[in-house]
Amino acid sequence: MNKFIFQTKINFKRIVFRNKSFFFFDMLLPIVFYVLYTKILVTGIPASYLKVWNEDYLVSMMIYACMLGGIITTANTLLEDQMSNFKLFVTLSPLSNLQYYTSMAIVLVTLNLVSSIAITVVAIIVNHVTLSIGLLIALILVNLLGTTLLILIGVLISFVKKASTVNLLTNLIVFPLAIISGLWWPIKLMPTWLQSIGKLMPTYQLSVIDKNVLHQTPQHIGSFINLFIWFVIILAILLLASKIQKRKGIVTQ
Amino acid sequence: MTILEIQHVNKTFGKRVVLNDISLQIESSSIIALVGANGAGKTTLINIILNLIPKDSGQVTFLTKNNWKQITGVMMQDNIALHRITIKEIINLTRSYFNHPLSYEELLSVSGLEDHQNSLMTGLSGGQKRRLTFALALAGDPKVLFLDEPTVGMDSNSRNAFWQEIDHLKKSGKTIFVTSHYLEELENIADRFLILQNSIIAFDGTIKQLRSREGQSLIEFDSELNQMDFKGLQDIVSLNVVGHHFQIITNDVNQLLAELTPYLKAIDNLQIKQATLDTLLLNYKENTHE
Repeated sequence: MNKFIFQTKINFKRIVFRNKSFFFFDMLLPIVFYVLYTKILVTGIPASYLKVWNEDYLVSMMIYACMLGGIITTANTLLEDQMSNFKLFVTLSPLSNLQYYTSMAIVLVTLNLVSSIAITVVAIIVNHVTLSIGLLIALILVNLLGTTLLILIGVLISFVKKASTVNLLTNLIVFPLAIISGLWWPIKLMPTWLQSIGKLMPTYQLSVIDKNVLHQTPQHIGSFINLFIWFVIILAILLLASKIQKRKGIVTQ
Repeated sequence: MTILEIQHVNKTFGKRVVLNDISLQIESSSIIALVGANGAGKTTLINIILNLIPKDSGQVTFLTKNNWKQITGVMMQDNIALHRITIKEIINLTRSYFNHPLSYEELLSVSGLEDHQNSLMTGLSGGQKRRLTFALALAGDPKVLFLDEPTVGMDSNSRNAFWQEIDHLKKSGKTIFVTSHYLEELENIADRFLILQNSIIAFDGTIKQLRSREGQSLIEFDSELNQMDFKGLQDIVSLNVVGHHFQIITNDVNQLLAELTPYLKAIDNLQIKQATLDTLLLNYKENTHE
């Protein structure tokens, strides 16, 4: 257990506390977007709807932060471990793969937790969003569940082992996914065919669950089924990719 | 006592056979040097032993009751350079992986980085990273140490210190499996040489056995004559020519010198040496190609 705790402690230092890009991308970017879309670019939004908009946009940016942390930070951190030969070093050490990935997941989930809290604090201060502690905890728990799925996507991307391809894939996935899921602007503004695709995305369904939690409206089972199906699909691809990688060997000849 | 057993290991990459029915037994408390030309399959064999790449067939068995990772230390060709982590942190992290680690002070001393404990790993020079990678390989006080090209990037002082440390480790009962392109360094320290050539272990024995088989002495000279002019010499084990520089390996240096007497006017810079591993290996390659 000692090695697992030590590994987790070191991971916190290198991925969170000493990593400026984490503060910029995972925390600052969603906060800047939140302030921008709720304080500056709000012309045309009726004053009566503004309160709901501020709350809904908080949910959107919480999920967006989870996407940045879950997909981009996960993929880049795992890639960095491969490029610096640390993954190989761990493979040759008595630390198991399960301990290595679990330790990493703890850090990344905590990172998303911190991002979610930071955005909520900004929403409370800047837009006077009222949110009970119970609701906030419920929102964060739902998002952490969603983060697990996003982390799996990040792990999958890291399997390509090439920095340029990892960057390309994360950008190709994160930003279009954020847009078509209606995280940056309402999905209703998009063409119907794009809305249909967007509604199939796990991040859209996660925002639906979050908004129902926030507005205390009844949940739809369909959203949970959607997330479950995505989870099974991503996990299956991940296991398959991992099997192929194992067959090829951990090191390239 | 045998600590590692390799039985009938085969490995191909596409149609290229890299390892063909390799079988070995590694005894404890010895230094085994795995040598061969670039691409001969040295790293592939180490990777298969360490389960980093799958073998096509065969078996690799560490004869230990413990998890084999607890008793092995590995220094791969590439250094570890983890971002945003200090020397002190990586040493202590590595120590935490093992049941009976060496002390932090011992490992720091091996790395020679006493003045850089709080520096980031990524800030170290290539040679410093290499020494740190070596110290990390020793963290678990391993019984078996795998060193793949360990001295690449080290300056001569560091290399000397490194081989002294290896000698010390051997005396303390460690088994060391090493590959290196600096053959003259291996020559002085290894107990057993394995020459990997044409996908098989072409030679397995001591440097003494290799010399008695492949020739004891090396005669070197420069000459404007060509290789064919020396064809009549009887006591040649091998003749190697690079430009006008001739290298002859022989078992009977006196007889060969007598045979060379008629050519002395056409020969400059004549030198007689004990055959080095480098020349023996080159000779070995030449013989096999013939």
